[in-house]
Amino acid sequence: MNRRDRAPIGQGIARIGIVLCLLFGLIAVGAGYWQVLRASDLSRAADNPLVIAAARDVVRGRILDETGAVLASNKKDANGEPYRVYADRSLAPLIGYASPVYGTAGLERAYNAELSGQGSPNSLDDLLSKLAPGAQRGDDLSLSLSLKLQEAAVKALGSDRGAVVMLDPRTGRVLAMASTPTFNANAIADPTTAVAAFTRTAAAAGQPFLDRATMGEYVPGSVFKIVTSVAALGSGAINASTSYAQQPAAEQTGLPVSGFRIHDGHHDFTGSLALDYDQAIEVSCNIYFALTGLRTGGAALSSWAAKLGFGAPLPFDLPTAASQVTNGGGNFGGGFKDDVELANAAYGQAETLVTPLQMALVAATVANGGVEMKPQLVTSIAGPGGRQAIQPAVLNTVMSPSVAGTIGNAMELAVESDWGRIFTSGAAIPGIDTAGKTGTAQIGGSAEPNSWFIGYAPATNPTVAIAVVVEQGGHGSARAAPIAGSLMGLWLKTLSK
Amino acid sequence: MTAAAGVRAPVRAGRIQPHARRRESGLLALVAVVLVLGSVSLGATQRQLAGQPASWLPADLGQLAIYLGALLVAHLALIMTGRRADQVLLPTIGLLGGLSLLLMERLPQALVTQSLLGRNFGLASIQLGWLLLAIAVITIAAIGVRSDSWLRRYKYTWAAAGIALLLLTFLFGTEVNGALLTIQVGPFSGQPTELIKVVLVIFLAGYLSDFRPLLVAADLRLGPLRLPPLPYLLPMLAMWAMALGIVVIQRDLGAALLFFAVFLALVYIATNRTSYVVLGLLLFVAGSVIAYQLFGTVRDRVDIWLNPFVDASGKGYQVVQSLYAFGRGGIIGTGLGAGLPLVAGRLPIPAIHTDFPFAALGEELGLIGVVAILGLYLIVIERGLRVAASAADDFRALLAAGLTLVVGVQAFIIAAGNLKLIPLTGVTLPFISYGGSSLLANGVVVGLLLALSDRGVEPPPPPRPGRGRRPAFLGGARSAR
Repeated sequence: MNRRDRAPIGQGIARIGIVLCLLFGLIAVGAGYWQVLRASDLSRAADNPLVIAAARDVVRGRILDETGAVLASNKKDANGEPYRVYADRSLAPLIGYASPVYGTAGLERAYNAELSGQGSPNSLDDLLSKLAPGAQRGDDLSLSLSLKLQEAAVKALGSDRGAVVMLDPRTGRVLAMASTPTFNANAIADPTTAVAAFTRTAAAAGQPFLDRATMGEYVPGSVFKIVTSVAALGSGAINASTSYAQQPAAEQTGLPVSGFRIHDGHHDFTGSLALDYDQAIEVSCNIYFALTGLRTGGAALSSWAAKLGFGAPLPFDLPTAASQVTNGGGNFGGGFKDDVELANAAYGQAETLVTPLQMALVAATVANGGVEMKPQLVTSIAGPGGRQAIQPAVLNTVMSPSVAGTIGNAMELAVESDWGRIFTSGAAIPGIDTAGKTGTAQIGGSAEPNSWFIGYAPATNPTVAIAVVVEQGGHGSARAAPIAGSLMGLWLKTLSK
Repeated sequence: MTAAAGVRAPVRAGRIQPHARRRESGLLALVAVVLVLGSVSLGATQRQLAGQPASWLPADLGQLAIYLGALLVAHLALIMTGRRADQVLLPTIGLLGGLSLLLMERLPQALVTQSLLGRNFGLASIQLGWLLLAIAVITIAAIGVRSDSWLRRYKYTWAAAGIALLLLTFLFGTEVNGALLTIQVGPFSGQPTELIKVVLVIFLAGYLSDFRPLLVAADLRLGPLRLPPLPYLLPMLAMWAMALGIVVIQRDLGAALLFFAVFLALVYIATNRTSYVVLGLLLFVAGSVIAYQLFGTVRDRVDIWLNPFVDASGKGYQVVQSLYAFGRGGIIGTGLGAGLPLVAGRLPIPAIHTDFPFAALGEELGLIGVVAILGLYLIVIERGLRVAASAADDFRALLAAGLTLVVGVQAFIIAAGNLKLIPLTGVTLPFISYGGSSLLANGVVVGLLLALSDRGVEPPPPPRPGRGRRPAFLGGARSAR
């Protein structure tokens, strides 16, 4: 009989007791790890019900238009949880949605922090306090947008895909920012229909979620001639009386550039007349601007375009795509590959790509005497702490008032003169002098060209600038110019009064 | 060998004399104060959330009064029958059960509903009913069990009963959450596994106390291990096979882990030999590897355990949400009723009342509450092992230790699972989880512990000679001193 046999049973029991104590101590340590060391990052995880609930229980701030009309407000569902309601379909690509299932998009996303009342960087305590009874309210946003003008813009675009951007050139404030097709943001915000509506919209033809006004990149065609004008006149490469001796002949035979012929030939009535700057704008002469582009040089064209905002996303309340005059990477100067690309870019073909917002800013800058205002949609944020107004800001002084005056004068002639009316008659507002430029952007193949118009009114002391693009809308004068004329007329004669 | 019985109080035949239980009275009063405070806190939070005027009333005065009344009745019954059983166990279990009641009152009542006698009952009402039954079981067992001969004599019958219950589950069980655990009889459903664990402990206590001397005498050498003769190893292998069988047949990892851990611990207590534990752990590892290879359920559980955040909205959802709950609780907790933010009107963890009450209490009572609850289980363990260590013979010692381990190890398995210390398995948190089977089985455990702790019960029979090489150990060792 060895010693071990006699060991009392109590010894084993005591040892098992010690093991259990250690195991329970381990649980306490584990609890301490998760509840103290990891507590704060666990409580911030996006799928933590605390975070979701904090965002959901908050009654999002309302979004109002320039007259105080409600664009986005809230309703309560069967569980008493608020969900978003929008005033009109025309707002959808711009304002986006706040969905309990899909999160946020558009302005709802860009201003999510303010709208959900979490504007300041929040601590965990802040987050926890938001769970406290009594629904939290987000800040209200006031926009410079006019709901009625927005609705009219979407209606004017009709079943076409396209975009309209209208600004006050003096302040940069957005009056309308339409993108078609639109979608039903109410159905995506409503928890009962969110999944079906989102799936349907995401698969729909024409990419309704894409806000074409800020993110759409289009070949500009002739509206880009205003950018070339800014560079050429601003750099002194040409002046208002500059004309090119070879231009009339080139209308017939094409302009040879490094063995490549640039053709025009859509204004036979100018005959053998060597056009000056105003006339070139009036009849939208491609040869004149190809020659102007070559005379200005690629580096100057690129750098003057950059002064207008090309080459980088525009500073705005929403994300924007960057506009470009060239793909860059070329060694010819300013990123151009060669003089052929430069000559073509100068009248808005080649690799030029622009957003409607950028082109509206170009028109607004000319209208505002060369001073480009920062585009602005949100004019004030009102919360429990009071109302914070957002003042207009100068983005860049692009050119001298005299250069802007030269360009503006030509744009006015383009709408109001006998020659101009052949191309741009639809933009004219009865009783109000209007300035503008059409564009017919070839997009390759046999597809109808994109129809463009940029401009402003009244020609003296302008208060509204506009860019309109209608995808495959044909000639600028056919589709975009009449839309611009009617919308500016509606604003100047009715809505702004 | 009558010396052991000689030092004990003689059995009181016939007359029953009341005997004061002052310690239990004091502790129960403390429990009542704690539960009333908890209920007042819960009531205040619930009224605030519902936008009702503030008041000092408890959340559900009626339910709390009934529960505390039942504890008082059990206490008085023990006094009136003159029982000298342990005085700490009942208040400790009473506090755990009271926390359970408060938690169930706080959860959405529609989680469980039952229609009985034309009335509809919600979660808290049903749990209160089971708690009252459990207290009744504890009291009846503590007072009624005066002899253990019916337990020790029929150990193989008990083993057979356990296996029969297992087979019953296998044949007639319905599947819940991928595990075959529940038997449905009319409107009632039960989980036989909960009872099997008690039956199994009774069998093991009987078997190990009978064959203890043989198990200790090692004459089989296997490398560094000294093992008993092969025939006596067979029960151990049978237990191992049974645990694996539970995994295979029922896909109930928690129960298998519980059975095997209790079995190993009891073997260790009986033999005092680490070689058994090492052998058992080797078998456990081998079994785990086989199970991991063969069964998708096991693989899932282990993968979720290793990194639940990989699939936080799918397979890892419950574990991740459990950790979030602990995280939200922090050190002091959100307070009863103020945690568990709803997602689309639903609780973040579906099985919160059965599998994750520890996470819910971790959130609402914080780390402080978690440590307090762990402390309560340690008190139960300490009292149970104390009963075991001072038992009159091996059978009672092993029975008391086994019953204690059933509660302690089960609490560890589910609490550690909630905290991602071990893979999550679906066992209940004793006395806190919702569920009749669990409450009644654990009531039997505590009732038997109380009976075993009573110095007034019938002394064990004298050891039968010829069964083992040595007579009963504890008595012998004591009398030798």
